[in-house]
Amino acid sequence: MISAFTILFAMSLVSLFFHRSYLLKPLSLVALLGAGYATFSGTVVPLIGFATNEQIQLFELVLELVLFATILHESEDITITQTLFLGSASVLLLQSDTLISFILSFEALSIISVVLVSYIKTKDQAEGAVKMFIAGSMATGIVLLGVAFYLMGGGMLLAPLSTQGSLFMGIGVALMLAGLFYKLTIVPFHGWAIDTYALVRHSHAAILSGVAKTVAALAIFKIFAPFLAEHITLSMPLLATLAIITMSLGNFLALFTKNIARILSYSSIAHAGYMLIAFVAVKSSYADEGILYMAIAYIFMQSGAFLALDSMKKEYEIETLDELKGFASQNPILSFFFTLQLFSLAGIPLLAGFLAKAVVFYAGVDAGLWWLVLIALLNSALSVGYYAWIIKSIYFDEGTFKAKLVELHLPLASQAILAVGTLFFGVYAGIIFR
Amino acid sequence: MPNLAITLLLLPMFGALFAFVSGKINRKFAFWSAELIGLSLFLITLKLYSSYTMPIDLPMTWFSLGDFSIPFGIYIDKLSLVMLLIATGLGFLDIHFAHDYMKEDPHQPRYYAKVLFFIGGMILLVSAKDMVSLFTGWEFMGLASYLLISFWHEQSVPADAGVSAFLFTRFGDIFLFASIGLLFYLTGSLDLVHLNELATTGKIEQNMMYLIAVFIFIAAIGKSGQFPLFPWLMRAMEGPTTVSALIHGATMVNSGIYIVARLFDFYVAAEALIVVAAFGAISAFIGATSALVQSELKKVLAYSTMSHLSLAFIGLGAGSLAAGMTHLVNHAVFKALLFLGAGAIIMSAAHVKDMWRFGGLKAKMPLVALFMGLGALSLSGIPPFSGFYSKDAIIIATLTNPQTDGIISSLTLISGILSIAYIGRLWFLTFAGEPRDKELFEKTSKPSFFWITLPLGILGVATLVMGFFQGDIAELVSGSVPKEEHISGLFIGLMSSISLLGLIVYYYFVKRLDLTKKIAAQPLMRSIHKVLFNGYFIEFFIHYFAREVIVDGFAKAMNWIDTYIIDATVNATVSIAQRVKTLFAKLHSGYASDNSGAMAFGVLLLLVILFVGGAM
Amino acid sequence: MSGLGFIFSPFIIAILTALLFRKKSAVSKFVALALFTTMLLFSLHLFTELPSSGYLDLGTFLAVPQFDFFLSLKVDMLSTIMLTLTSVLLLLVALSSWSIKNQALYYSLLIFFSGAIFGVFMSTNLLWFFIFWELTLIPMYFLVGIWGAERRIYAAVKFFLYTHVASMFVLLAFFLIHKEAGTFDMTLVKEGMLLSPVLIWWLLFVGFAVKMPLFPFHTWLPDAHVQAPAPISVLLAGVLLKMGAYAMIRMVLLLLPETSQKYAWVLLALGLITLFYAGFMAIYETHLKKMVAYSSISHMGLVAIAMSTLSYAGLSATLYEMIGHAFVIAPLFLIAGFFHHKTGSWEMKDMGGIMQKAPYISAIFVLAGLGALGLPGTMGFVGELSILLSSIKSFGLWMAIVALGSMLGAGYIIWTLRRVIYGEMSEVVKKTDFSMNVFEFLALAVFALFIILFGLFPNLLFEYINPAFAQFSSLGGAL
Repeated sequence: MISAFTILFAMSLVSLFFHRSYLLKPLSLVALLGAGYATFSGTVVPLIGFATNEQIQLFELVLELVLFATILHESEDITITQTLFLGSASVLLLQSDTLISFILSFEALSIISVVLVSYIKTKDQAEGAVKMFIAGSMATGIVLLGVAFYLMGGGMLLAPLSTQGSLFMGIGVALMLAGLFYKLTIVPFHGWAIDTYALVRHSHAAILSGVAKTVAALAIFKIFAPFLAEHITLSMPLLATLAIITMSLGNFLALFTKNIARILSYSSIAHAGYMLIAFVAVKSSYADEGILYMAIAYIFMQSGAFLALDSMKKEYEIETLDELKGFASQNPILSFFFTLQLFSLAGIPLLAGFLAKAVVFYAGVDAGLWWLVLIALLNSALSVGYYAWIIKSIYFDEGTFKAKLVELHLPLASQAILAVGTLFFGVYAGIIFR
Repeated sequence: MPNLAITLLLLPMFGALFAFVSGKINRKFAFWSAELIGLSLFLITLKLYSSYTMPIDLPMTWFSLGDFSIPFGIYIDKLSLVMLLIATGLGFLDIHFAHDYMKEDPHQPRYYAKVLFFIGGMILLVSAKDMVSLFTGWEFMGLASYLLISFWHEQSVPADAGVSAFLFTRFGDIFLFASIGLLFYLTGSLDLVHLNELATTGKIEQNMMYLIAVFIFIAAIGKSGQFPLFPWLMRAMEGPTTVSALIHGATMVNSGIYIVARLFDFYVAAEALIVVAAFGAISAFIGATSALVQSELKKVLAYSTMSHLSLAFIGLGAGSLAAGMTHLVNHAVFKALLFLGAGAIIMSAAHVKDMWRFGGLKAKMPLVALFMGLGALSLSGIPPFSGFYSKDAIIIATLTNPQTDGIISSLTLISGILSIAYIGRLWFLTFAGEPRDKELFEKTSKPSFFWITLPLGILGVATLVMGFFQGDIAELVSGSVPKEEHISGLFIGLMSSISLLGLIVYYYFVKRLDLTKKIAAQPLMRSIHKVLFNGYFIEFFIHYFAREVIVDGFAKAMNWIDTYIIDATVNATVSIAQRVKTLFAKLHSGYASDNSGAMAFGVLLLLVILFVGGAM
Repeated sequence: MSGLGFIFSPFIIAILTALLFRKKSAVSKFVALALFTTMLLFSLHLFTELPSSGYLDLGTFLAVPQFDFFLSLKVDMLSTIMLTLTSVLLLLVALSSWSIKNQALYYSLLIFFSGAIFGVFMSTNLLWFFIFWELTLIPMYFLVGIWGAERRIYAAVKFFLYTHVASMFVLLAFFLIHKEAGTFDMTLVKEGMLLSPVLIWWLLFVGFAVKMPLFPFHTWLPDAHVQAPAPISVLLAGVLLKMGAYAMIRMVLLLLPETSQKYAWVLLALGLITLFYAGFMAIYETHLKKMVAYSSISHMGLVAIAMSTLSYAGLSATLYEMIGHAFVIAPLFLIAGFFHHKTGSWEMKDMGGIMQKAPYISAIFVLAGLGALGLPGTMGFVGELSILLSSIKSFGLWMAIVALGSMLGAGYIIWTLRRVIYGEMSEVVKKTDFSMNVFEFLALAVFALFIILFGLFPNLLFEYINPAFAQFSSLGGAL
């Protein structure tokens, strides 16, 4: 049986030949469906050092669904190809089981991310891409340094991460984590993200902050959780501090911000903080469900929000809250989808964002860290401040609009898919807990 | 019998609704349904009275609250029956009188509905077995009185008067409400009749009994217009005169006295009677002196009401249930007479209330003058009118009780004697002498006999006849005939001073009115006049307190706290968040070099921590 | 299944209503009326099915046993009473919004709200309870923010944020309960299972005190009340605050009886402060709707006092006062909103003499006002009497000061009536036509009827209220 990785990778290569052809999109979508079927039947990347389990499988399915929606939304051929590439790298990363496969897939993902944003048309996009590239290269360096230390301490590349070890191994793991946290936008490795997410194309930001980030989070957790659990006395206070700083910084910065993309990029940093709680609460049996749920919810809502923003920009050139005023009367359907995803990000119930937070935070309480969870909850409440403010602009204010630039249909279908995902995982958590 | 009692309670309430609805169909129906219902209420009461053998006792449960059950019982004994007779009898006459008085008012359905509701409240109050039904009747009357006083609500003055009446009485009422709670806590029962027995057994702590007695008395003060909660009574004169006659002369104001009488044994056991007597004496004096200088017909009557109710309170306070209650009964009749008489005058004289514009009216309405004269004589305490006997009994009671002998008895005596002065002044200024406002005099019409003069006649005869049945009334209200005590010289002294005072009033207000005006123009007299005219400025003080201390002081301070401390704290979160945001924003310069620097710094810090942590 | 249907079908109907009837918005009213009537019938039907004590199981759905996350729907007497109250209010609110603008969206939000609130009262799983609890905020946020008055945005955002922050404490408390007692099912949690009941108690207390609201957490309410359209103020006072009180009873008092006993004084003290503080605020207020809002808060102080007794009688009194408060305050809000709508002003000085223009509406206003100040014959009196008696029984003689609260009530109500209803007509009133839509008047009349009916015959309610707390009676009063 062909694995999902193979299908996606093949398709991304094939797609190069279909640029400027109307067949590109349907073919890619069919490929994604095929990949979905392959994932469903439990195939693994046919290489040494890759394995899968039910959780990963579920996430891959979700990932493929979101990529499906993303491609449905997308109108640039090159981005579709890169999305497929990124999808195959993600599958690779998710299924990686040994340190070497993990590091390599991670770097592959990073490279594709850089390639994705390198399709530069404006000065802003250039700035975003460059910042990401610099930070990414630095992070790679740090990761490799970590790997070196880890090997020095007697670690093995062709095996899963060892749970115990010498000081050198510890330092190695810590450095690796630090480098990897760049992708997760954990403070102080977050600087690039603030600008990159806000400046690059919104559909790219959707992939970067929605897809790449969640994949990385889940994969990192899968590889590093045993080690962190073993060294809980040291990892707990460190990661808890990082979690608090990350979410507070993200949330406070997002307040009073006028640019919608920037608000979403700050909120993305805040969500990294929430995800980190699962790393802190690794001792709890709910931690792996928590991070999985968080990843699933986040991939839906963040992609949804950014893609909706992309549509808004295309339709009316909306960038700031002022331009968003009264949008509900212009396009009620898109407003509804955008609002739905924002509420989900804010952690309003019956949407995936709430249950995901609930499970992650519960894992925190379960690990005895109720104070950390309290801070996280208050942060989450704080975040409602800016989400509610965006919604206020959409519904409560009145604004003037120029004529619509383009009429969008497929993006609405893509929004519908993402909204259904957000709703489904907001109502039913049964699939996560298996 | 119980069925009849229940009918008596429910009829006025349904009657009110019926009168309103039928009045909406045709305005005349309102009066006739009210008249009919008023009459049937009186007849039912008479029937209850005539077939009285033993108290009607109907303990009922209103609702059950968790493991408590809240009673709503009915108890009609002789005392209640007397009060019922007053309420329904005077109520009926009042409705009858209103036929002409309210003839031109477009809102008659509303008027009669409210009057019937009022009578219903009074009936409920005097037939109450326990605190809950008592309080319900008490508040029903308060509401009805509020609605009736501000009956002409489209004008500001009556509307304000209604507010005043409600708030003053409500202030008293909350103490009654609180005492419901206190009684419930202390005795576990709310039964009033039972309470008297309980008090004598000494099962309740003395201090607590005293507290409850005072609380209930505060409510009584409010309802009966006693010092210091009387200003509403004066303002209430803005309502229709029929309302004043019914509520502020004859029935509602009596309820304060009734409740003290109903709990008389309790008050005795609580040793709280002296409080009753003391406040009564102060009010009697304030009322009597203020009545002397009022220029409005109804205000004189209002202050005299206050003063005479105080006499009843003093009677109770001096330990004589019979004296206090007979005075209440007598007063109800002659005061209704006087008020209705005033109504007749005001109605005939184009709704002018100022006595100084009347004069010589006896030529226009001799019968009204005659009947009001009877009422005035009764009020001043001239034998053989009923007022004489009860006033006499009260004075004797204060003099024989060592606790009240002294200041209280002197104040009582003074106020008792002064009644001739103010009521004489009223009568002389209105009926005697020359008409002072010729135009008004010409306009004044003759009142109708059947609707106006006849009720006055009935009451006039009643106040005379009742003088001969004082022993029976005392027996009815107190269950015993008081033994006749005589203090030598008292009768002679009283009579001579009353006659002397009467002559002086006659001289100054009929013969030498010019002299009176001259005296009144003296600076000293003018200041005294001012104090008395404004009821010793008590209303002014209370209003000042309410406005400046409660509203503009306390409530304003709360408002300030809410805006500038509590809500400001909530709103401050926004500016705090803004500051934190600015702080964080400073950390992020946006340069890629700084981003990398931060990463490097983070890694360095991590290593340091790991080394330190690893070393430990 | 039916219970689940009444929670989720409103969500679907709401979305359909908003989408389908955008052009024919009048249809949405009838959809709402039909749904709320069905909900009322369902709630009434539940009374016949309830067992004599304990819960009626309406089924468990969407089971996630690993997380103890079941949508288990169970109702007992308490929640059935709340369901009935809610559906009655929803029905009347739907009637009294008859002539509002942008109806399709408005009614679809109302319908959405109805589903959420039914969920709150029916679910016994703490997490699902929380989900519905938070979900009620969303329609409210839009209803205040879109249909509100001048400062609607400030009010809506403040309301949303303030109550959402409070809910976070509640969520944390639920997590702690699950961690310590091992279950989210409130019917299974016993206080003895908890390791840190005090922490949980405080978290829950703060969370629910904001919603009730109690001093000093009340400041969101006057803003929300004033800026919301009148029917939504009714929902806020009649349903949302009641939800807070319900949660306080169910999650704090019944779930943690021992700790509640220990800290009852906190509830009592805040209740007393709220009663007087809001009373004084109302006295000073010249803004008609703010006055009503503070009066509403003041009554919630009474509710808290009654609750803090933790006795059979006290809790029954609480529930009665909750219902009474809803019916009494609703017409006040509706008529205040109506006067504002007609005169264009909130200030009492611009009104006056309205009785001459609109006697029947004014009469209902007077009646509701008398209910608010606790005049016998209205629901207000029964509530105040019950609270006085139960609190004095539990805390002693000094609780007689509760009576003073009704003096404040008399102060602000009577003085407001004088300024708004009675007296000479103001210039504005003279020019205004006070005609009211017949459906809106119908709603007012029903409220007036309830105030008198249940005020004269409180046993009609106590018959159902008392059994709701019957577990207290066997233990001889306080637990």
